[in-house]
Amino acid sequence: MRSHFTRRRFLAACSAVITASVLPKSVAWADVRTPHPKPRPGITGAHVLTKGDLKDKPELVALYDGVRLIPQIVDGIRCNCGCGNPPDLYSLLSCYEKSGMARECVVCQGQGKLAVRLHKEGKILEQIRVAIDAKFG
Amino acid sequence: MKKLFSVLACALPLTLGAQIRASEIGTMSQIVDGTKITMEYSRPRARGRDTLFGKSDRTWGTTWTPGANYATTLQVSRDVKLDGHLIPKRKYSVWFVLKNATEWTMVLDTNSHLFHEERPDSSAQQVRFPVRVASAPFTEVLTWSMPELRISGGDLVFQWERARVAMSVEVEPSLVMTLPAADAAAYLGSYTYSEVDSKGKVTQVKKFIVTHEGGYLRGQWDPNDSYFQKVALVRIAPDWFAPAVYDKNGVIYEVLRPDMTFEFTRKNGKAESILVRYDNDEIGAKARRIP
Repeated sequence: MRSHFTRRRFLAACSAVITASVLPKSVAWADVRTPHPKPRPGITGAHVLTKGDLKDKPELVALYDGVRLIPQIVDGIRCNCGCGNPPDLYSLLSCYEKSGMARECVVCQGQGKLAVRLHKEGKILEQIRVAIDAKFG
Repeated sequence: MKKLFSVLACALPLTLGAQIRASEIGTMSQIVDGTKITMEYSRPRARGRDTLFGKSDRTWGTTWTPGANYATTLQVSRDVKLDGHLIPKRKYSVWFVLKNATEWTMVLDTNSHLFHEERPDSSAQQVRFPVRVASAPFTEVLTWSMPELRISGGDLVFQWERARVAMSVEVEPSLVMTLPAADAAAYLGSYTYSEVDSKGKVTQVKKFIVTHEGGYLRGQWDPNDSYFQKVALVRIAPDWFAPAVYDKNGVIYEVLRPDMTFEFTRKNGKAESILVRYDNDEIGAKARRIP
């Protein structure tokens, strides 16, 4: 009988063991709300996905364009989607960059849309954070 | 490469800490309204022993950890109440003082890493309260569970042999479900409620009636909405409300946040219109007060 313990499975098991052993304990308790991040000085929307990156999601182009215009706001908002805060996620802005979750996640999208809308209505970052916390926190 | 693979494969069980134990380690974890409750414990089996309590190392009067090996631990990520007793957030070792067949004392000690023979002395830092032991169907493996859940907590249950101890858990609520009558007054009345599609086209028009009953701000559609029936409107921000849904017994079991937000707009202090937004911030309905 052929063994099911393939090289790929073995490497995957090793990887899981190593990951579990180095994972900081705080990650396991990440359900408790963390403070909103401080917008990084000089942050830009240069890495926010563009129309060209969103050919399969044309309905999201306007949202991404809106987020790209207010990086200093969106970078000051904690993402509340419950994705467990992967290490490369700094703020809600990260969700709109590279392989960020906003492509698929309605909560990331909703937070972004709310931030863009309230900013257009003249709200400042602190007011937008309060609204995001009320609805998504 | 093949040789290296074989060597590493042989080493894997050691890496994983594989060991056959009489009391295998288990974890019970539950999140309720953002509070995480975790119990870690070794799980002894009855192994044919019919009577476990009142004899051996569980004689009456003994302090015993409801587990095996290292003491069972309870960790709460926020303050909770156990049977009405405040348990500040942290990790505890868990002990029972086995007074007799029906009355034990629950002891939570702030030293969470104790071997089962290191029974803690009574101290001011401990939380102690009496618990009742009920008779239950035989349970082979010592088990901690939360078989009952409510929006504000649940029941934490210990079971082994024929002993069952159930404690109510209350978590810190993230929302206040009720609304004072004075605050509710501005929203009461009937509204023309127009559901709209993603392009803003009206798809259905109903009446939405807001009342204040039993301390709750409530909304109901006419004609009745088959899913929602009646909702409680739970304030999440000034003039923003999330709908909470009731089960068949009239008990709230879910708050639809961020799924739906009722955003009221006021005119002369009185709510005049409502925008209902979904979690993606799209407008799902528009409502206007019926004069």
